[in-house]
Amino acid sequence: MTLLAASPGSSTDVLAVANMPLLWASALGVFLVIIVQTIIYMRAARRAGPDIGMSRDDLSVAFRSGAVAAIGPSVAVVIVALSLLALFGTPGVLVRIGLIGSVAYETGAASIATGAAGAELGGPDYTQTAFAIAFFAMSVGGAMWMLATLIFTPVLQRSEKKLTRVNPLLLTIVPGAALIAAFLSLGIAEVPKSVAHTTALLCGGAVMGLAAFLAVRLRRSWIREWGLGAAILLGLVAAYFADQAGLGLGIV
Amino acid sequence: MTTSPAPLTAMEQFGATTNRAGRLTMIAGLIVSLSGPLYLVLFADLGVTATALWTAFAAVAGTFFIIWLVEPVTYYPILGPAAMYQAFMIGNISNKLLPSAVVAQETLGVRAGTPKGSVTASMAICGAAVVHLVSLFIFVGVLGTWLLTLTPETVMDVVRSYVVPAVFGAVAVQAIISVRKLRPVLIALGVALVVQLVLVPAVAQLAFLATGICVIATIILTWVLRPRDRAKLENAAV
Repeated sequence: MTLLAASPGSSTDVLAVANMPLLWASALGVFLVIIVQTIIYMRAARRAGPDIGMSRDDLSVAFRSGAVAAIGPSVAVVIVALSLLALFGTPGVLVRIGLIGSVAYETGAASIATGAAGAELGGPDYTQTAFAIAFFAMSVGGAMWMLATLIFTPVLQRSEKKLTRVNPLLLTIVPGAALIAAFLSLGIAEVPKSVAHTTALLCGGAVMGLAAFLAVRLRRSWIREWGLGAAILLGLVAAYFADQAGLGLGIV
Repeated sequence: MTTSPAPLTAMEQFGATTNRAGRLTMIAGLIVSLSGPLYLVLFADLGVTATALWTAFAAVAGTFFIIWLVEPVTYYPILGPAAMYQAFMIGNISNKLLPSAVVAQETLGVRAGTPKGSVTASMAICGAAVVHLVSLFIFVGVLGTWLLTLTPETVMDVVRSYVVPAVFGAVAVQAIISVRKLRPVLIALGVALVVQLVLVPAVAQLAFLATGICVIATIILTWVLRPRDRAKLENAAV
């Protein structure tokens, strides 16, 4: 192995690695696991239904209203996922953004991990190696949520009543503050990169805020669902023009 | 709705089945989802070092470990044990699964936390999962991959370079709106500005820990500066 430009993983053709067949197999494997789980759960619900006073119709209504309620959010997730294909490739986006995780945590984890590797997520130094580190960190981070669920669910089942005695501040305000701090910090870290980065950040934030305001004002909750996708797309459009005006990395 | 008391046996059986299957499928999902990235870092010869992975993981854990611990505890009362194993594998809990479960519970007039509430939440999440899997597979898996081949290189470069700040801007505002409390927002904003624009430029080695530092400092300050009087506290918890 040499330290020349040909050293492994120094190519910035991230998608060549991100769309490898094995990653596709792993992504489709997660689809399969969720399908199996869904089938087992539906059968279990059908068996339990009559004895707890839920008819087949009730169960169908539950299934259907869950499905219908998911249409808007699912399409919204699709748009967000499409905008991240260039960073993580299709299999990575399917599993990390579409399934297990969410755009916020996964992009956050990827940005922090590439930063730890001395690169910038999506920057000129975002190499195949940087992608591998980011994808690994996102996946292990997601695994931590699953692990916490596996450990805590049985514990909570046994101690449900005790939970109500925990200081409510601990369960609401503290994690809320942690989330705000994480994403404000990640966002502000984008500011020194260029004016175009700052434009994308501010435009994304402004559109999201506007969507939330309109959703409340016009009493249309679907506006909120679409807010994230719209914010990302309009943030990108704003960044495109800022870049064109010579305020960014000089791509356009 | 009928109001017959729920015999424990049926619900116990539902609980046992979903517990066993839920845990097994979640462990399977965990392993399968890790197999891809593990292969990449172990066998794909990309020059990834163990040190780089540990550093990256430590930086991510520093930021999110509180959320890893708190989120399952927060969602448990609404979802119930069965739906927990669904929710944390299907993902997008707060923006998709939770609304689906709540809408179904409202439609049927059942309460969260009751046997009917739990079964309803599980069925609703099954419905949401089907819609979600199909739309992801078609629009991202198939059409998205095709779209990538059509997109001009310039547009791809713009997206790659600027999608990250666009996401963080939107998500930060989303987090602020969901908390709806001025105090933690001001604390977090002050801390983030100081850390990212004063501390990081001064001590460049801290850059990758910066967000972790922000999170921990904000949590400590929010706790220390919390409203002390009882009425305000209850108000704050709503």
